[in-house]
Amino acid sequence: MITDQRTLRRALRDRFPRDHGQLLPALHFLHEQFGHLPDWGMEVVGWHLGMPASEVYGAATSYTELRIDKPGAHVLRVCTGLPCWQQGGRDIASAVSDDLGLPSGQTTTDGAITFEEVECGFLCGVAPAVEFDHRWHGRATVESVRALIAGARQ
Amino acid sequence: MSEKAAQSFARIAASARERLDARAGKTRIAVQVGHCSQAVGAAEVARDIEAGLPDTAYVVTTGCDGACFAGPQALVTTADGDQIRHCRVTLDDVASIVAGAANGGGEPVNPDVGAQVEEFFAPQHRATTRGMGEVDAVGVDEYIGEGGFEGLAKALSGAPEDVIETVSDSGLRGRGGAYFPAAIKWRGARSNPGRPKYLVVNCEEGEPGIFKDRHLMEGLPFQLLEGCLIAAYAAGLDQVYLYINAEANLSAQRVQNAIDQARALGLVGGDVLGSGWAVEAEVRRGAGGYVCGDETTMLNTMEGKRREPRMKDPLPVIAGLWARPTVINNAETIASTPYILSAGSDAYSAVGSGDARGTKLISLSGSVRRPGMVEAPMGTTLRELIHDVGGGPESGRSITTLAVGGPSSGVMSADMIDTPIMPGSLHDSGVMLGAGGVVPLDERLDVLDVVRDLAAYNADESCGKCTPCREGTPLQVAALDRVISGSGTSEDMEELKHLANVINAASLCNLGQLAGNPVLSALHFFGDAFENRIESGGG
Repeated sequence: MITDQRTLRRALRDRFPRDHGQLLPALHFLHEQFGHLPDWGMEVVGWHLGMPASEVYGAATSYTELRIDKPGAHVLRVCTGLPCWQQGGRDIASAVSDDLGLPSGQTTTDGAITFEEVECGFLCGVAPAVEFDHRWHGRATVESVRALIAGARQ
Repeated sequence: MSEKAAQSFARIAASARERLDARAGKTRIAVQVGHCSQAVGAAEVARDIEAGLPDTAYVVTTGCDGACFAGPQALVTTADGDQIRHCRVTLDDVASIVAGAANGGGEPVNPDVGAQVEEFFAPQHRATTRGMGEVDAVGVDEYIGEGGFEGLAKALSGAPEDVIETVSDSGLRGRGGAYFPAAIKWRGARSNPGRPKYLVVNCEEGEPGIFKDRHLMEGLPFQLLEGCLIAAYAAGLDQVYLYINAEANLSAQRVQNAIDQARALGLVGGDVLGSGWAVEAEVRRGAGGYVCGDETTMLNTMEGKRREPRMKDPLPVIAGLWARPTVINNAETIASTPYILSAGSDAYSAVGSGDARGTKLISLSGSVRRPGMVEAPMGTTLRELIHDVGGGPESGRSITTLAVGGPSSGVMSADMIDTPIMPGSLHDSGVMLGAGGVVPLDERLDVLDVVRDLAAYNADESCGKCTPCREGTPLQVAALDRVISGSGTSEDMEELKHLANVINAASLCNLGQLAGNPVLSALHFFGDAFENRIESGGG
């Protein structure tokens, strides 16, 4: 169980050689543990790899798939890229946005749900696609997405 | 080294065949589980089929065959060799599939969709993707039974230079979008001093609308790995990195599994097939962002640097990863090589058009009835892809815009539908085949909104290193917003054109140099739509 600087440092030492090329694998590891990249964790990654925290932070923030801020308990991502858009993806996004009262990229005030529009989920063959809690759903409809949200809120 | 490798491989193949023979006489059910079909319940279907199965049948997990519209699919092969294709399977269908399999067949689920699948495949030419969706993607035996790793064994029985010669004769060019001859890269890395040398396989596939490399990794992971080993042997490379998109978890899992199994068989490691040749293979994961697909950016991210490109002089084959000679090939390029080695360069180059030999994997989606991953010879027209393979738009809809090649390419009007797919440019206004995304759009989407979407994507994804791309792409979006809202003037059209030309001329990476293309192609093909909106004041 990784809870603090000491346990994280030990975990990193067991898994990753002290080599700058291990930065991305180490950041992925940290992300898997916490669902985002806490500041103190990035600092420990820097200690382990022998890199300044500013470089770790600079690299980490340049990636779109690594979260710096802690997301809500549930994360809903709606694909609005061209193929999904053509099949109704933006109708789903705007309906969900209205239901939750949230623009893309925001979390409900109770911290329950983060809503994001994404440019492509690479599920164009089963468009429109949405991802809820790391699971993708193809051929989605406004109703099926509302059901996912309702299920999580129970 | 040749004889020992051939003997070792013969032993491996014989024991794989023995295990396959033990299953003879049973009914085989192949459940296609890929990232797309997983999103419509394929994993649960596979689980339930396996749970209810009698001893007279067995299940294998394959990748998707590309007919995404028909997923989840299950293919039953009876002991007599009869095939039944179940399409759009739900959990409610599992009981009847299992009962049918137990009684030597059964009725197909959704045969109307099955008929569509046949129409989807009929115009295609499957070379690189032969066996996809049919051969086991988790256990290695079936792949070996179908002739897998014979290309590698053949390569190892000759000199590396011979392999390069064969690939050169086939005319294979990079399938990631740049279409650079693969053999030249390999030769370059081979002749450059410095060890270790690396192969980085670009499986990043971060371009919106593209899903073909995921199909390769999920459906043919052993073939992809075999291609890596062939390339590494030919170019004299010591270490293979498969750089896989952060979100493509199933792909990474299947490729890692393939590496593990190949290592257990002695196909990867310190002494491949007892030949004395050593090669290692490892999965690396990206972390998102279109620019990660640029090869120098990928190298930076592997070295722990920021996600931005670097100068391409020296070229990666001279000084790439950690300043060592590095070959960077797209997954599709690499996955084509086992076919070229086993079937011969003539078989690969037999199809195509003019100088453009071989096939291309196309990710077909948008306003078509049968979206999916397609393999078609170079020179196939967009009409053939969209109508013959894809079944055209739903009735009552008509195609108005052809978005080809993703956000680094652009849009064409519907009357360009007879354009053949070719490596590189499809039209001088900046439309390219790129990695092979074909997205026909119908009248429900306004082309100005579509162009704004592509331009906004390029603005969002700009890494910020080069001023023309960083500053120019948002200015394009602002000008497009003025036009779309009706407050635009003819000067905005001039500015859009000027910005696009500057961005293309003065950015460092491949993607920045193409970030003006959506606007340039739209101004060429849809200039009237811009002018009408400006004249009508948005009304």
